[in-house]
Amino acid sequence: MNAVASKVNPPSAAILPAVWKLLRLRWQIMVNNFRRSKLIAKIFTILAMLGLMVIVGLVFWFSWQMVRFIGTPEFIQTVGDPIALLDSVPALFFSMFFLGIIFTSFGVLLQALYLAGDMDFLLAAPIPIRSIFITKLLQAVLPNFGLSALFGLPVLYGLGMARGYNFLYYPVVLLLMVVLSLAAAGLAGVLVMLVVRVVPARRVVEVLGFVGAISTFICSQSGNFMNSNQGDATTTGNEVVGMLSFLTQLNNPWLPLTWPGRGAVALGENAWLPGIGLTLLSFGLAAGVFWISLQTAERWYYSGWAGMQVVAQKKKPARSARQTTALPMLAGLGTLMQRSLSAPVRGLMWKDSLMMRRDLRQLSQLITPLIFGVIYGIMFLGGGGDAPTGQGEAPEWFMESFTTLLSYGNIGLSVFVGWMLLGRLASMGFSAEGKSYWILKAAPIDPRRLLTAKFLVAYLPSLFISLVFLTVFSILQKVSIGPAVYSMFVLTLSLAGMAGILLTFGVLGANFHWDDPRRISGGKMGCLGTLIAVLYLPLAFVLFIGPQVLTMVIDFPIGYAYLAGGVLGTGFSIVCMLVPLRLVTPLVEHLDEA
Amino acid sequence: MTVQQQANDHMNTPLIQTEHLVKKYGDKTAVNDVSIEVHSGEVFGFLGPNGAGKTTMIKMIVGLLQATSGRVSVAGFDVAAQPLQAKAASGYVPDTPNLYAKLTGRELLRFVGDLYGIDGEQAKRRGEELLRILDLTTAADDTIDSYSHGMQQKTSLAAALMHDPKVLVLDEPTVGLDPKSARLIKDILRQMADRGAAVFLSTHILEIAERMCDRIGIINKGELIAVGSMEELHASNQVSGGSLEDIFLSLTGGAEEAEITEILK
Repeated sequence: MNAVASKVNPPSAAILPAVWKLLRLRWQIMVNNFRRSKLIAKIFTILAMLGLMVIVGLVFWFSWQMVRFIGTPEFIQTVGDPIALLDSVPALFFSMFFLGIIFTSFGVLLQALYLAGDMDFLLAAPIPIRSIFITKLLQAVLPNFGLSALFGLPVLYGLGMARGYNFLYYPVVLLLMVVLSLAAAGLAGVLVMLVVRVVPARRVVEVLGFVGAISTFICSQSGNFMNSNQGDATTTGNEVVGMLSFLTQLNNPWLPLTWPGRGAVALGENAWLPGIGLTLLSFGLAAGVFWISLQTAERWYYSGWAGMQVVAQKKKPARSARQTTALPMLAGLGTLMQRSLSAPVRGLMWKDSLMMRRDLRQLSQLITPLIFGVIYGIMFLGGGGDAPTGQGEAPEWFMESFTTLLSYGNIGLSVFVGWMLLGRLASMGFSAEGKSYWILKAAPIDPRRLLTAKFLVAYLPSLFISLVFLTVFSILQKVSIGPAVYSMFVLTLSLAGMAGILLTFGVLGANFHWDDPRRISGGKMGCLGTLIAVLYLPLAFVLFIGPQVLTMVIDFPIGYAYLAGGVLGTGFSIVCMLVPLRLVTPLVEHLDEA
Repeated sequence: MTVQQQANDHMNTPLIQTEHLVKKYGDKTAVNDVSIEVHSGEVFGFLGPNGAGKTTMIKMIVGLLQATSGRVSVAGFDVAAQPLQAKAASGYVPDTPNLYAKLTGRELLRFVGDLYGIDGEQAKRRGEELLRILDLTTAADDTIDSYSHGMQQKTSLAAALMHDPKVLVLDEPTVGLDPKSARLIKDILRQMADRGAAVFLSTHILEIAERMCDRIGIINKGELIAVGSMEELHASNQVSGGSLEDIFLSLTGGAEEAEITEILK
């Protein structure tokens, strides 16, 4: 035995010191991240912390004032006695808090237990396994607990102050939050293992990311949609009463999730028997759930049960069988592409389309523009898209020009959908290759072909979807055939120019070193590309549509206006598509050589 | 010219040639004035301590990295001036097989076939053959993210062999492979060389280099400090009867060895 080995302390079975050591490690990592961050990030973090403190203070003050307002005779006259509602607040808070912690800890635990890569290292160390699981649960729960405490405690304490609860209420509320969060994290850990038993961890992360991104986007955009539809509608007193009554009904004594809140309120109101009883019951249940979950999770993980998928992946049908089921139209398109494009370009397009379809995290970024298009399309069509009649003070030529411009609003919306898609497909077309870019770099592909493939991968789907939107809008708005065809022409070319610009900046800002596709960012170059695309679009529109507007002022046939607009707009779009790409072609050869 | 002469000429053709190759990253010189020739039918082992410049050198040979100065030619094509021809003649297996995670093994080979312009049917046949040889057929329709490291490494080799390259460059090809797969890869490399290809491989496993390679180059701190066959290395280093490990340590410095022994005492 060497000198060092003789000085090593024997391993200890004590759990808490080991948990402390592991938490210190997490703290150290956090401090290191802060220390090594850029100065601007440090300043932002400090300001964010200060801002958070101010918000917490405001929440506390607001809760206090709110509860006092609820107790005013005016409020009681309108809504009724608020006591039941106020007593329900802690119960509702604890129920939401428990479910929220389960939901938010799920993703964090999935990452910490299966994807962080430190589990083997920790399990091999001479520390109790239980301490590792406790630390992982704490790691999952602490940020969410912190946030909930920051915003929840001021509300509950404000309520306590306003209602004059006794001093026991305050520490009990905090302790209940702690035990409930641990129980929720324990349950989340078991849930994670059950899910991973069926679906591989990485796939679960992808699905969570997809569902999360789509839900967030739908919620935010639906909010806009509802707001715009409701206009100046106001909420009536009866609606408020109905909503408050529903919330009060959720505080059902038979629901175990309401027991912690009911217990704390009872203690605060000096109702000792139900207070102590419900509080102890809540503590006991939460501790029991935590303990059982911890032991189950530990056993499942250590025995390997939770790492072994029981549901085999369905094998895909053989490629030849799949090919025969292709639609004749698609087969025709395939033949056309085979004739007009070289094998590497076709191969790249085929590969990119497969990758986009299969990686749900990438797919979510492509679906959001469609949701956006649908929601704003409904809003646009709901508004009628007609020019306001005004009060007759504007000159006739102005109103005609204005109406002409509005009739091309369809293109604007369709271009916007296309732009959002291009923002992902063209701006990040190269970056999306990630660490696999070496395959393309080591292959004998001409940079022009590589750019052509990336251009087509971005342009064709964006054009297709934008054209679908435009066609639907044109049909719904009964646009006559001439302007509809011209709109399609304008859309096709303006998107081509934009694709060229965005792809160019995608090359300039290419970043291949990422692990999560959601983290691919265009960086400064991406922002610059977007800015230039914003300048390009109105210019292209002026050239395409301007001559038609001019016919209202200067008398010349509309046919010539279409021709002039077509020639000017086409020239400009093609220049914007080709020239920037031509300029960056030599750079493609040396991408990822820094 | 007789068939024998043609064969000799073929064997003497340098398929990889680097002339005074230099690569600098800012002030740091990763590769300094390295000149190497690897001939047809030869397996060339490239050794060096960690951070010696092996991967940088390899990346310059396969056209992933532009040299600061000097020249690299592959199969007679200048990598800087005729990159497409040089790349078409070479196959590359990186140290970390970063492949497209969401493609299946079969789809990846089809894609590589397209990149190298191989006819569809021929690519399909070649792909199936490689999948069979490398024991990947049963997993061929699973996405690569479900493969083990060894399977990904073998898929990477299959991709490099799709176009039957004249030059095969491998960076640590046997790391993380089970003995059967490692043996399979060694056999494939030997067969490739026997069929006239030039194989350039970097490895840390000196036993592999000693047994497989016709010639060995040792790089240290960016400089090529020795090159030749085992016999030539023995002769030039006066390590009589010593193994490649002895030669390697004597050339790259064995001071760390004594330090490690001291710590472990």
